[in-house]
Amino acid sequence: MLDNLLFLSAPITVSVLLAGILSYFGNHILSRGIIFIDIAVAQIAALGTMIGLLLGFAEESLNVQLISYIFTVIIIALFALTKSRKQVIPQEAIIGIIYCVGLGLAMLLAEKIPGGSNFITKTITGNLLWVTWDKVLYCFIMFLIIGIIHLIFRKQFIMITDTRNGLPYTLWRTRTYELLFYITFSVAIVKAVPVGGVFLVFTLLIAPTAAATLFTQNWKKRFIWSWIIGVLGSVLGMYISYTLDISNAPSIVTLLGVTVFFLAFGKLAAQKFKTISIKK
Amino acid sequence: MTASLNFMMAPFLACLILIFIMVYFGIHVIEREIIFIDIALAQIAALGSAASLVLVNLNVVTRHNGHEHDSRTFMAYLFCLLAAGIFTLLKNKKLKIPLEAIIGIAYAVATTSAVIILDKGAGGDVHIHDMLAGTLLWVSWNQVLRLFVIVLVIGLFHYFFREKFKAVTLAYHSDETNIARPGLWDFLFYFTFGIIIVEAVAVGGILTVFAFLIIPASISAFFSKRWIIRILIGLLAGGIATISGLYLSWVMDVPCSPTIILFLAVCLLIAVIIKGIIKCIRFLHQMTRQEKY
Repeated sequence: MLDNLLFLSAPITVSVLLAGILSYFGNHILSRGIIFIDIAVAQIAALGTMIGLLLGFAEESLNVQLISYIFTVIIIALFALTKSRKQVIPQEAIIGIIYCVGLGLAMLLAEKIPGGSNFITKTITGNLLWVTWDKVLYCFIMFLIIGIIHLIFRKQFIMITDTRNGLPYTLWRTRTYELLFYITFSVAIVKAVPVGGVFLVFTLLIAPTAAATLFTQNWKKRFIWSWIIGVLGSVLGMYISYTLDISNAPSIVTLLGVTVFFLAFGKLAAQKFKTISIKK
Repeated sequence: MTASLNFMMAPFLACLILIFIMVYFGIHVIEREIIFIDIALAQIAALGSAASLVLVNLNVVTRHNGHEHDSRTFMAYLFCLLAAGIFTLLKNKKLKIPLEAIIGIAYAVATTSAVIILDKGAGGDVHIHDMLAGTLLWVSWNQVLRLFVIVLVIGLFHYFFREKFKAVTLAYHSDETNIARPGLWDFLFYFTFGIIIVEAVAVGGILTVFAFLIIPASISAFFSKRWIIRILIGLLAGGIATISGLYLSWVMDVPCSPTIILFLAVCLLIAVIIKGIIKCIRFLHQMTRQEKY
């Protein structure tokens, strides 16, 4: 038992770290209503890694990460540019096309790299089990820096996300904060995707905050609850994957996702009961 | 040359049939702005057929060579129906979270659980690859015929009631419609769409179907507002992309579905450039006209 715990301690630590940073960002993403942007960005980050591999750089070397960052920044800039124009096709369609073409290109490249189709599976399922303590420490420092930036500007970030009452600042100040937000966001995504895979990142972003938003609209409560749900889900999912002998990232995704569906149905049912009892 | 032409004929025809119906549905989907519901439905259908593989392996369903394909399709339909029901129930303003979040979570859960299931068997990576990109190259004439009949039936149905379906889609975001019983037509739309998705995913894979649905319809959105012209433009772009994609994949020995997707993306890029040139010309025209007066 102790051996297993030691073996699993690094993966559990890193998944708790991921849950911490991603469920925080998720609250912003959900409120902005750009749900699918992160699955596209995550896929593009994975594509950047593959191109780096194809150019002959070692996996997880500095060059590969640099290429990954460049790709992600280009895509984020593309979103920002297409948003300002007059819309012929909806923003969602552009996100969908980028995701689809990114995945298609990744599959083509996979043919050219030895063990490439294995790599496709890896970007779906992630690589949680084989994470080293070095990487955990690196992730921790990165996320700490991003966390401190967000702690300093927390009021401003909430203000620019919550634009129901119009823009809070002048246009250029808003754009500067937007840029800071998106840059920290893409750094977190690029770091998280090689470890957790595209779908774990997506689910940790959306599922905890969706579950929290079902019950409260207050920002502070949403942050706290999404952290609790995210961390609990990761640890429990890891335990389930260990006992049932299945990959860990998919089991965390399935656990968190199914939880959201149950909570949503539960809330609908509870409201039905409430209205019936009021009528009586 | 003729041998390879014969070999490529079935995939090419299958692609054309798929694109024809997908452009039509794609225009609907883009107007409704429910882009990702289709990839979620397609993934859930694929999860259904993966689940039936497990049932066959566990000998819950007795294995007959002829019936295996039937049980897979049946499970795919069952899962799709369940998912459509869940989406309809959870599209509720009281829940405070957007429907997209639920669609996205469903997509993530379906993909990863399909991976869990497929990883258990031998050759998991290959199955995952097939699930995404399909086995377009190995489509048989029987499958093409089946696809053709289904597309013909659903296409005719939509042709006869085209005004109703159009009205329902155009009124999707507002509360008032001028037709009777919009709920029924909405259900019929999703029902026929689901059938097409299940059949298409079995041939083309999730990613290809998604690309056929979104990209040609987006291209045509640049040039026209009339549906019949949009369908023709989409079919033209899709046809060119399919021919060049199949040819290049044969010459360069790369998988054909991703190549076709890439060519569709190239077509979209060309369309954006052409649109830009047309705008420039119009602008210059206006300038010279203003100078004359």
